[in-house]
Amino acid sequence: MNLPMLLSLILLLPLGSAVVIALFLRKRGNLAALLSIMVGFTVMALSLYVILTSYNPARTVYPAGSPESSLPSAAMQNWLGMAGPVWAEASHHWLQFGDYVFAMGFHFNNLSALMLLVVSFVACWIQLFSAGYMADDEGKARFFGGLSIFMFSMLGIVLADNLVMLFVFWELVGFSSYMLIAHYYTTDFANMASKKAFIVNRIGDLGFLLGIVWCWDHYGTVRLSELENIIGYHPGLVAGGAATGIGLLLMCGFVGKSAQFPLQVWLTDAMAGPTPVSALIHAATMVAAGIYFLARVFFLLPPFTLHWIMWSGAAMTACAGLWALGQTDIKKTLAYSTLSHLGYMATAVGLGYPQLAMFHLAMHACFKATLFLGSGSVIHACHHEQDIYKMGGLRKKMPITAATFLLASLANCAVPFFSGAYSKDSIISAAYLKGHDEGLIYYGVYALVLFGALCTALYTCRLFAVVFLGKARSEEAEHAHESGASITIPLIVLGLLSLAAGWTVYDWKWAGGLMTGLIPSGCAQVFLGGFSALEHTLEEKGLGHGLEIINVIVVLAGLAASYAFYGRSAAAGDPLAAKSPGAFRVLERHGWFDDVYDWYVAQIQQHFCDVLAALDKLAIQFGGGQVCAGGLSGLAGALLRRATVGSIHAYVYWFLAGVCCYWFFAVR
Amino acid sequence: MSAFLFYFFSLLTVVAALFVVINRDAVNCALCMVVALAGVGAMFFLLEAPFLGVLQIIVYAGAVMVLFLFIIMLLDETARHRLRISEINLVFVCATLVAMAGAALWLAHQYPSVAQLPKVEPMPTDQNPMAYASASKAFGFGLFTRYLLPFEVAGFLLLIAMVGVIVLSKRPEQIEANPAEPPRR
Amino acid sequence: MDTGLQAYLTVAGLIFAIGFAGVLLHKNTLIIYMCLELMLTASTLALVAFSRFYGTMDGALFVFFIITVAAAEVAVGLAIIVALYRRRRTVQVDELNFLKH
Repeated sequence: MNLPMLLSLILLLPLGSAVVIALFLRKRGNLAALLSIMVGFTVMALSLYVILTSYNPARTVYPAGSPESSLPSAAMQNWLGMAGPVWAEASHHWLQFGDYVFAMGFHFNNLSALMLLVVSFVACWIQLFSAGYMADDEGKARFFGGLSIFMFSMLGIVLADNLVMLFVFWELVGFSSYMLIAHYYTTDFANMASKKAFIVNRIGDLGFLLGIVWCWDHYGTVRLSELENIIGYHPGLVAGGAATGIGLLLMCGFVGKSAQFPLQVWLTDAMAGPTPVSALIHAATMVAAGIYFLARVFFLLPPFTLHWIMWSGAAMTACAGLWALGQTDIKKTLAYSTLSHLGYMATAVGLGYPQLAMFHLAMHACFKATLFLGSGSVIHACHHEQDIYKMGGLRKKMPITAATFLLASLANCAVPFFSGAYSKDSIISAAYLKGHDEGLIYYGVYALVLFGALCTALYTCRLFAVVFLGKARSEEAEHAHESGASITIPLIVLGLLSLAAGWTVYDWKWAGGLMTGLIPSGCAQVFLGGFSALEHTLEEKGLGHGLEIINVIVVLAGLAASYAFYGRSAAAGDPLAAKSPGAFRVLERHGWFDDVYDWYVAQIQQHFCDVLAALDKLAIQFGGGQVCAGGLSGLAGALLRRATVGSIHAYVYWFLAGVCCYWFFAVR
Repeated sequence: MSAFLFYFFSLLTVVAALFVVINRDAVNCALCMVVALAGVGAMFFLLEAPFLGVLQIIVYAGAVMVLFLFIIMLLDETARHRLRISEINLVFVCATLVAMAGAALWLAHQYPSVAQLPKVEPMPTDQNPMAYASASKAFGFGLFTRYLLPFEVAGFLLLIAMVGVIVLSKRPEQIEANPAEPPRR
Repeated sequence: MDTGLQAYLTVAGLIFAIGFAGVLLHKNTLIIYMCLELMLTASTLALVAFSRFYGTMDGALFVFFIITVAAAEVAVGLAIIVALYRRRRTVQVDELNFLKH
């Protein structure tokens, strides 16, 4: 089988699984779970097979010795260095509107290979975890069907070769996210949360759709490969108002899906879904799809857009880190952590290093999935108790969960030699470099991300200390015990990866060069070049070690302070809330964004609508409209009522009149 | 001879059609209808399409009209309801009839009178298999080459119609036994 | 008048017009339905005439399909009329005015 066929198989298998579950297995939860998990592992195996067998190190972006004049612009060369050569391209005409052809196809390069690997790998382990976690759930079949349809849509985003197809799958992902958040649909909160997620995403997607339309109007195509060509050879096109507008509108899609400022409010509420869903969709893959999208169309983003992404990302890093300290729900704490890490990735894109963003995306997928699954294991063991101040002392009762959670926590706060450290430290260094090179104001970005790193250490250590150390704070925590193999095996696999996945940067090749560290070379190429180039630049300017030492000091200081503050307390409440309730409340309300939006809808939007309604009435009643509109509609109503006589013969005459009119226009 | 036959059958058909319209009794209507349909069938023969002519007489004048007669007798409505026409309605109908007949005549004369009739072979030739031919082999060839898909669809349509008729003619009691059915007036 | 294309089309048009007048005149659904069939037959006559005078088979083949579909249509239509009669105890269109406002 050739590559496009294999990719189609990867894409369509989850769809098939979803269809079979929806049609035949709705009442048979166990069979549905089995099918979905088998498909998940098959997709993972196929992806690995594709990436390992189709990777060809000799394949280059340009043919060797191509003349200088035929190379694309420098910025595009830089981007191509990340995205790599195209492995396969296939396209199938689907619809044609005038001269616009809507195609469905694949555009597969190193970048998509990395994302494909992340999605399929994390997803299959999380599905295995779900089998244990959802064992006695009534809607098991619905849940696994939802996971399958999510897999299908996510893989569609990864493989799409044009923006319209990408948008279609983008919306499908939104739908499956909605469906899975509302899994416990008997609770009001889950229903509200799913609606909120859906509506907030729509706001971003409206901009995205407009951006696609404008992109088609401005560049004449929405196919990624053609856009690459156009902009590669005419870099001047990405300047001026239209290009900036397109960049900003496309960014709206990212802002909605990746929950960035100002649309971040949906992500924490989305934790109402089952924990595996939070792990897969709202931490590891779907929210990261926004970053992947930015990396994929990075060449379309003009400087102004990048600045916006950089500043909002950096601010989100710091704010979300702080807000995480004010949460007592274990999943909400992790949700803010996800926001903060998405902020890191956005900052990296904004700084002009999409490579590092993709690197952090891959690492984050491993350790954040582990953290969420660990929290899922804890919640499962404590009979669906999510308040961390009702847990405690779980270290001895759940040793595997505790150990893997520790590994992932250390990766989360970027302790050296854990996977998170490599990607996060390089982003922080890149921010410093921007300040060093381009002016004082950019040190602000550095300060924000460094503060974010400090907050990460604070809330991570708080979470671990409160949940796993100390003594049990409730009956449930007292009797908790380790769950079965289907829960612990994914924890161990992903936990080990969150320790070791980052070692790829040491460029240790094996299996005949097909693997670099623990990642297939084809995928690792995405970030290795950018990473080593950054290291090299830092080395040249003599900044490398200094920055690393600052990072380590910040992280260790954060851990120590947090342990000192939270580790000792055995009380059934947050020490910060006890000592400074005001400060805790500020953090808990996470910047009052929800309140502002509530106020906006209730006070401004509602009043605006009232004003419109009043104007409407005014125009009709006093503008002479009543006579006119009332008379006209009354007349039309009377005529139509006359026409509706209930007699077939009358209708036949009407029909004849219609035919005569038609004939008159057609023959004329 | 052929001109005589054409005038004979066209007169027969038009008169029979008129009787269908002016007859007050449904059974008489149906019998006149049989004559009109058979007349059209005869004209198919004159147009050298004997296969269609036979089909018209068997299916239309035969099967379909028998069905009509059965239903007319089954319902037996005619005894109670004789056709009563108001004058105003009659004026409308006559005006429509005249207008349409005029339009038909005018339209018919828009077409050129073909002086040289294409020669009709009894059998389709290999050079031009879709040319007009009188043998039913020509129909067979056309149906199974260019019109294979419509042919299959037509067959399927007949099946669906059969199922539909069975469903429609179930006794109402049986339908009401179904609890999912909404209550009837 | 020669028995050319025009002659056949004239006859077809006349039958069509007569059928239409019958549809307008009658109140019994069954007779209206018969007149509709008459109009359909008129159109098939025109099709066969065109087919014959232009020397291609397509029109005649189309008539074959029309006869097939008409047979199916009559069966279903009559079944609907019978169902209607069972429900309303009448097939007179002036009594079937439930669409009236």
